[in-house]
Amino acid sequence: MTHIILEARDVRYRYPHGMEAIRGISFHVRRGEKVALVGPNGAGKSTLLLMFNGMLRPDSGLLLFDNQPIRYDGGSLRELRRRVGFVFQNPDRQIIAPTVYQDVAFGPTNLGLPEEKVQVAVEAALRNVGLTGFERRPPHQLSSGEKKRVAIAGVLAMDPDLLVLDEPTSNLDPAGSEDIMELLEELKENGKTVFISTHDVELAYPWADRVILLRGGEILQEDSPEVAFADANLVRKARLSVPVLLDLHQELERRGLLLPGKRPRTVLDMINTIERATWKGASGPFYGTIHVCNVDGTGREALSRWLSGHGGISLGAMGTRAKQRAAEEGLTLDFSYGVIDKCILKALNGRSSLILTVGGMVQQVERRVSDFKEESGAEIPLREVERT
Amino acid sequence: MYEEILEDIAQKNGLREVNPYLKLAGALGAIFLCLSSESFIAPLAIALLLSTGILLLARVDPRTYGELFLAPFSFALMGALVIILLSGGGELLWSWSPLPWLSFSITRGSINEGILVLSRVAGGMSALIFIALTTPMTDLFLVMRQCRIPEPVLDLAMMIYRTIFMIMDQFVQAYQAQRMRLGYTSFRESVRSLSMLCGAVFIGSWDAGEDLIRAMDARCYAGKFAVAGEIRPVGMKSLLTVASFLLVSSAIVLSTGNITII
Repeated sequence: MTHIILEARDVRYRYPHGMEAIRGISFHVRRGEKVALVGPNGAGKSTLLLMFNGMLRPDSGLLLFDNQPIRYDGGSLRELRRRVGFVFQNPDRQIIAPTVYQDVAFGPTNLGLPEEKVQVAVEAALRNVGLTGFERRPPHQLSSGEKKRVAIAGVLAMDPDLLVLDEPTSNLDPAGSEDIMELLEELKENGKTVFISTHDVELAYPWADRVILLRGGEILQEDSPEVAFADANLVRKARLSVPVLLDLHQELERRGLLLPGKRPRTVLDMINTIERATWKGASGPFYGTIHVCNVDGTGREALSRWLSGHGGISLGAMGTRAKQRAAEEGLTLDFSYGVIDKCILKALNGRSSLILTVGGMVQQVERRVSDFKEESGAEIPLREVERT
Repeated sequence: MYEEILEDIAQKNGLREVNPYLKLAGALGAIFLCLSSESFIAPLAIALLLSTGILLLARVDPRTYGELFLAPFSFALMGALVIILLSGGGELLWSWSPLPWLSFSITRGSINEGILVLSRVAGGMSALIFIALTTPMTDLFLVMRQCRIPEPVLDLAMMIYRTIFMIMDQFVQAYQAQRMRLGYTSFRESVRSLSMLCGAVFIGSWDAGEDLIRAMDARCYAGKFAVAGEIRPVGMKSLLTVASFLLVSSAIVLSTGNITII
């Protein structure tokens, strides 16, 4: 059984001017989970999030972090805020210092770390969000997406267990949003628990392990995304919309066009379901190969030699460092988000692809491909690029 | 907006990586020499040298520099004109008294005085612009910290610096929104709109201040601000340049003595 990191028991909160914002909420978050709190404007999302790191204190009910009730004395709050990293919706309001370095160093410095350790923490945090080399830039010269990354780095530098992000993709363009979601995915792979609030249904649907639908300070539904969003009535009540993929699947199901079964979370799931429903079972299909390249161990020459030997191959990069490397080498990426799924899709279509990635994420690719094999029976060849 | 242009140039100019103490020494030395020179020639020469440095070494766009220089210079020009018309001394060259209690006169002394002030302003201003265009504020914070400016003052300065740009943004946005709805068509309307604008920005910055406290709390604020990073080492080439600039300027100050224009 996985360990519970955050738990709320019948939490209530009323604003000083009278409106009850949170009306008896109970839920829990397990370690390593990705949870999305989804609800319309004014549902109480931000209010609820601000309780996680003790910025707001519930009027009644109990909040537990790491199985200990949250205590509101100075020392305990500091420890809580170190372990619960909070990223505000507006990065301009979160970034305090005049340079990126100083801002990311703000938390660790205040935790009393010696200067060398602060430096190490800042470097690691900036590398994590892909902003190495931005140390001396003033924040007001950065783009919205970069500011958001600085805000996230500032929180990561304190090495929190739980990351809480209020509307992480508001004000970002679609590519910027995807980058941030990919970054959150990466952080989860590094063992962080991630909790976001959003009203972007399409974004939460493929990303979250679990979804909490909130409306008027109450939880409407709490379940895996394909269940939570499936009830059209409930979704309408929450002033949201059913994710397109789920809607399509339901409509096809109603017309008897698809076998009822697992609801698709991604385009890959959807294609897989359709192919299984329509496959005539003639000759065995031909699959393309997925090549994986760990850019940390592969030299520039080896990579370009490999690429020239495989002209016209689709190229994807997973993780901030791999994307940086691709940019350095002047490579044009076909995919930068949901890369594994996109490459499996290509492979199903008989086309080969190359995924650039780093360290532990190679295993993630292997895992996803073998999971897919179990699900669909499709045996997609996976090869690692030789490092020479 | 000027403040952003200044910061942009300071971050990207050709002298960005030169040790800030050297740049400060050059500029402050120039100001000191301008003030101690009795002749108008030395400050003008210093202005010329510094402008050459700004344009050729820091590679600042001449147009931008010209605009930056001329805006305050026009004020100085008016000031010098007043000095020329009102102060006296020496041989009388021209006078006019339109009213019994009001008279204007130009004398040899007043012209010399006016020209000297104007050239000192030109020299001092080019020194200040030199600092503003070549040294980003963040480097100056570092220098201030090393000069033992009290921490609370410095922390405040850094937060103010960070906030200025946000409030400026807010100001511009609100101003544009007002203009789009014809807020500045008449004088009366302008006064009304401007007062509303100031009120809105004040409330906005108050809000931002509260958010700032919350943001700092959420990140475990305990009264400490990180140091800004390292200072570039003193380069031999730049050291020689600054030293020779100061030497040449001092030589000009000494050799021109108190040469006057007329």
